Amino acid sequence: MTPQAKLIFTISLILGTTITISSNHWLMAWAGLEINTLAVLPLISKSHHPRAIEAATKYFLVQSAASALVLFSSTTNAWHTGQWDITQMTHPLSCLILTSAIAMKLGLVPFHFWFPEVLQGSTLTTGLLLSTAMKLPPMALLYMTSPSLNPTLLTTLAILSAALGGWMGLNQTQIRKILAFSSISHLGWMTIIIHYNPKLTLLNFYLYILMTAAVFLTLNSTKALKLSTLMTTWTKAPSLNAMLLLTLLSLAGLPPLTGFLPKWLIIQELTKQDMVSTATIISLLSLLGLFFYLRLAYCTTITLPPHTTNHMKQWHVNKPISPSIAILTTMSIALLPISPMILTAL
Amino acid sequence: MALSGMLLNGASFHGGCCRHHVLLSSLGPLLSNSKLYSSYRRPGAGPEKKPSWQNVDFSFKKAFDHLKTQLSLLRKETQDYLLGPGGHPFNQHLLEQTRVLWQFRSQEDLNKWVISSDEEIGGKSKVHIKLGRNNQAALLYGTLNTEVPRDGETQYSGYCSMRSRPAVGSFNRKKYYDWSNFNSLYLRVRGDGRPWMVNIYTDPYFSHQKDDLYSYFMFTRGGPYWEEIKIPFSKFFLSSRGRVQDNQHPIWLDKASRLTLGFTIGDKVDGPFQLEINFIGLLNDRAHREEFAYEAYDKNTPV
Repeated sequence: MTPQAKLIFTISLILGTTITISSNHWLMAWAGLEINTLAVLPLISKSHHPRAIEAATKYFLVQSAASALVLFSSTTNAWHTGQWDITQMTHPLSCLILTSAIAMKLGLVPFHFWFPEVLQGSTLTTGLLLSTAMKLPPMALLYMTSPSLNPTLLTTLAILSAALGGWMGLNQTQIRKILAFSSISHLGWMTIIIHYNPKLTLLNFYLYILMTAAVFLTLNSTKALKLSTLMTTWTKAPSLNAMLLLTLLSLAGLPPLTGFLPKWLIIQELTKQDMVSTATIISLLSLLGLFFYLRLAYCTTITLPPHTTNHMKQWHVNKPISPSIAILTTMSIALLPISPMILTAL
Repeated sequence: MALSGMLLNGASFHGGCCRHHVLLSSLGPLLSNSKLYSSYRRPGAGPEKKPSWQNVDFSFKKAFDHLKTQLSLLRKETQDYLLGPGGHPFNQHLLEQTRVLWQFRSQEDLNKWVISSDEEIGGKSKVHIKLGRNNQAALLYGTLNTEVPRDGETQYSGYCSMRSRPAVGSFNRKKYYDWSNFNSLYLRVRGDGRPWMVNIYTDPYFSHQKDDLYSYFMFTRGGPYWEEIKIPFSKFFLSSRGRVQDNQHPIWLDKASRLTLGFTIGDKVDGPFQLEINFIGLLNDRAHREEFAYEAYDKNTPV
């Protein structure tokens, strides 16, 4: 892609995200969402492979439908209440439609079907963009409207997301699909606490962006797209693969790594809100996710050839590994001790 | 139940017949099931398809049996899902280097394949398939005839082919093949020296991909000895409606749905042909390091 085109798409993405996050009128929020959708489409379909075009088509259809539902819910709310303020969403039907629209945008169950396919059809860099940056606007809208949305519905969506994200990731062998399901299950954790303590949702979201970026960029530098390839990438950058093990376990939420922080705080908050059974259920469901994270970690680091591999050892690195991976990896492993500082900053 | 169904069918056909006759005749080409743009039926094509409402069979017992088979298929699919990716345990998925896809040992193996020739456009080639000696192979034989059918629009003729039926899961759902572990096709064949074309047709879900076909050639020796041919997937080139495309890309086989493998002979030589296929399988050829054999042209290169 020419640099000018890349510039236009990048600036459009930043513009769309900024418009949505900083808006207080529903039409501006919707405009930002649409700009984002349109700007990311050429990035997904850049390689013109049929699978990439299929991913772009699926992404476009789902996101457009969700944007239309956002507009519809805001319009019905404006009809009933006379104002377009995002934080003043009071009509119950509008709130219901908005919840489903945001679920479609984010990829929450039961509107998650597009997410693995879209990630599988795009490159690792574009997949990173889809998992992190494209979730910012809908997450901002969810944050702003969360007091008005039905808490039971949100809790149900969250538990279903954690469940299906865990279960459906179990049989996958393509890494991008595994990361899609991990994203779905993390979104479940973010959604379950949004009604009681939205700051924890944001904390979970930021740490999730950090860890996912570290994982995606590491996989991009070793060009591993499926599990059998992942087993032989240790020859390219052995220390990076060792760090990938810790990053994946951090994504899984194991102490003393960073990923444990949001899970611990969410469980604590749920217990304070007298939702002990919900906390138990969602913790148990995240064990399913732990299984495929452990499988990824096993394939990356713990296994050494000559046994259990089907792929030839790879011997060259395509391009030098960027130093930002080191920063992201360090942060995604070692932030737990400074958690009081993080919490006061939020 | 069946009697009432037949009565219903008869009544609707009779009652509507006279009233709709005039309407039908004016809308004739639009209502026919075949192509909308040409009402000419080629000499070799089968008779007009019965409209689907005349195909309805209200037999309750048959429906129940069908439901039972589909439910047992669904149960098997669930058990396969619990076992691991592709129905095999995970370490088998990681370690497997070969897999046999189709082998020809009985008539039901033959039923998984469909043969066709240019008779469907009015040509004169003939093709048959049967089990070979000792039920060890499938024998595809026939005669190729390049005489062009005289219908004013066909220019070339003379082809015969054998294609596999796509696999369907329970309730006629798509079944996906995951061939990402492998990088070559492995065929054990005994030909007669004629060149064949191996075609892979995958993913017709989107209508703009339904004409895409990935093909490569298979050159057979004529000898009495069996030949083992390896065709790497990196060599398959893309063609659409028979035209080789400029934008080539490697075939992605990590999620191929409704995949059809086909063998076609169309080498413009009149005469008999014969091909025995023992089995068709997949191979992870570690010596083959090529990712894609053709240049992928970059259209918008910066000046």
